[in-house]
Amino acid sequence: MALHQTPTAFDDVDPRKRVRNVALTFVAIGLGVLVLMLLESIGSSKLTQSLALFAIWGVATVSLNLINGTLGILSLGHHGFMLIGGYTTGLLILDEAARARILTSARSMMTEESLAISVTSMLRSLGLDALTTPETLWVRFLIAIFLGGLMAAFAGLIVGIPSLRLRGDYLAIVTFGFGEIIRLSASTRLFAEYTNGALGFPGLTSEFGKSIWWTFGVLAFTVFVISKLKFSSYGRAMQAIREDEVAAQAMGINLAYHKVLGFVISAFFAGVAGGLWVSWLGGVRLDFFLFQLTFFFLVAISAGGTGSITGVLLGTALVVFVRQYGDPLEQTYTLQQWLAFAGGALVLMAALAVLFRSLRRLRPRFHWSAGVLAGAAVLAFVIAAIDPAFLEGTFRGFGMRAIFLSVLLIAIMVFRPEGMIGRNEFSWAMLLRERRSGPTDEERGQDAWLTNPVLNPRGTDVDPEAGPQKPTAPGRAAARELDADWDEGVDEASRDGTDGSRAPDDGPDDGPDDERRR
Amino acid sequence: MAMLEVAHLNKSFGGLTATNDVSFDVAEGEIVSIIGPNGAGKSTVFNLITGVYRPDSGDIRFGGRSIVGMGTNRIVDLGIARTFQNLRLFTNLTVLENVLSAQHHALRTTWLSAVLRTPSYRRQERRMREIATEKLAFFGPRLMSFRLNQPVYVLSYANRRRTEMARAMATGAKLLLLDEPSAGMNPSETKEITQIIRRMRDEGGYTIVLVEHKMGLVGEISDRVIVLDYGQKIAEGSYRQVVDDPKVIEAYLGKKAAAERIEELEETGER
Repeated sequence: MALHQTPTAFDDVDPRKRVRNVALTFVAIGLGVLVLMLLESIGSSKLTQSLALFAIWGVATVSLNLINGTLGILSLGHHGFMLIGGYTTGLLILDEAARARILTSARSMMTEESLAISVTSMLRSLGLDALTTPETLWVRFLIAIFLGGLMAAFAGLIVGIPSLRLRGDYLAIVTFGFGEIIRLSASTRLFAEYTNGALGFPGLTSEFGKSIWWTFGVLAFTVFVISKLKFSSYGRAMQAIREDEVAAQAMGINLAYHKVLGFVISAFFAGVAGGLWVSWLGGVRLDFFLFQLTFFFLVAISAGGTGSITGVLLGTALVVFVRQYGDPLEQTYTLQQWLAFAGGALVLMAALAVLFRSLRRLRPRFHWSAGVLAGAAVLAFVIAAIDPAFLEGTFRGFGMRAIFLSVLLIAIMVFRPEGMIGRNEFSWAMLLRERRSGPTDEERGQDAWLTNPVLNPRGTDVDPEAGPQKPTAPGRAAARELDADWDEGVDEASRDGTDGSRAPDDGPDDGPDDERRR
Repeated sequence: MAMLEVAHLNKSFGGLTATNDVSFDVAEGEIVSIIGPNGAGKSTVFNLITGVYRPDSGDIRFGGRSIVGMGTNRIVDLGIARTFQNLRLFTNLTVLENVLSAQHHALRTTWLSAVLRTPSYRRQERRMREIATEKLAFFGPRLMSFRLNQPVYVLSYANRRRTEMARAMATGAKLLLLDEPSAGMNPSETKEITQIIRRMRDEGGYTIVLVEHKMGLVGEISDRVIVLDYGQKIAEGSYRQVVDDPKVIEAYLGKKAAAERIEELEETGER
């Protein structure tokens, strides 16, 4: 894997490793399916519900990440797209009994015509009566979430257009405004005929939204489409726009088309997620689509790693876990117990600080701040143990879940601003520690050889037509030696107070290449 | 017929006249340098040609077709690509991805077939990779092999310059506008860039217009030199003709120093 390869052999993944990676992926998917089956058979309904919620929110975060991470536009209107998908799906699959209840209700704002809109009636008018039986509800649901996605995609097209003229914060405000406009117009008289105003419509089937198979199936489809898009030429163009709009345009990339395309695809999947979300909740209501929803997605994206699909899923898992299993945090405890918790948290923080410093090879490993934390923890434990009078009484940690999530986010932003996974995707090479962090000695030698006037007398005039050149073994050793000499030279130069720049005929400077920023 | 015809180009920003009635032609296969003191309007001319700015009046024709008012990306489709004075690479993408993204505008598949990886898309992607490595090979092996998959932010400054030139070449353009290709490079790297620009014309068949401050480089490779000062073209011709032009000397050195220099030249009989 060096110079002695043909110039067009770009791919450094060994075909055997590629086969292994594909095999590992299939094994992992198979194992995942098995685990899901096991969890469904033995798990409580709370566990399956939480898993389904993870998958639904995963669809939403992965699609939001297409705009935020790949296209580099901060969009805050995802709840609006979800609302459109949710209301469309809800209206289309509402069953007859629920429709009759809404029609007879005195406060209902829906009419007979609007209540007649359903997938069933559409299929009937097409003469497909076989698909209107209770057994084929899944077909109707599939059609409904698809139509919901299309409606949301249309909204995405409209929201995408201002993105052509605005940038950065201004665009973020516009997307936020659109999300709120969508939510608020759903409650107005104008759309009340279809949305039933602030009441919404209850009585939706949870058969799909709470099924692991449906939600994970949709999630798999979403991840497939969005990851294939990200790793295609279109995804590269979108990432180029994220990196530098001016340069992207100067390289012929049509900014308008790619931005709107990103918005439309993202909004489509947001609409699908909205359809599953109302099914999970068992009804449609305005307050299921508050801005808070988008906020949770943004937390998941930032915590997991902006731009990385696997990272975002990890972040979603974290957020969903805290949401579903964070209720012990909000119980009523005595102050003595709270103090003991605080002590435990301090111990944990001190331990994490030491772990962090040793992983980053920071010295001293035991920073004085870890000692301060441990001391405070001991103090907290001692006070809790002797139980003085002021510790009487109880305290309910109302909202502690949100606080916990916020503190977690702050910690991630401080210690790992790029998110848990960062920009890169999870890969088998990463797991098996195959990824190299820099060039090998051999490659380093080749670089030094190329740019060294002694070893390469033809200097910078490297002729690619002459074919690959390979330094001889002694040449390589000499190259390394000269490289080392050069390094020393720089040190001396910087000590002398000069800027360490090289003599004119020293050959191109390729030295800093090997330094990684991470 | 000239490949690029710039006629009576005017552009002002408020009260500042950036270009004033600038006209020049570039023939196919030429290397033309635009020089001039700071603020002379060199980069503005580039921005006008690439459609970043719209001229107040005047015409720009490429291959006989007026390109005034076209979007930047449309002009790239027609065959004009540029590099930037202060590098504008996609820093978090790899070297290969940078060069590939420049070819995206020529892709002839929809996003859906890209997602589904249809045979047509796969074929085009393979072709794009071949072109990318071909363009990177212009710069010798130093951007090949393991560098291909390194993100741009780990590259040295000189390698970033090379990557940006490869990226402009990969757009499929016939006319390259290089904005100070040797800025920030040491003398031996400048020498290398000089050779590469010449090879880009001789082997790659590109027509090149460059803005440059290093007179050594300009003198060595330019077929023709155009001198701008305060937005106006004050001289045009071969490098020798231009550097001995009293108006050019005046623009660079000021009136008094120019008079001395001209006297000196006349004494030694060089003029």
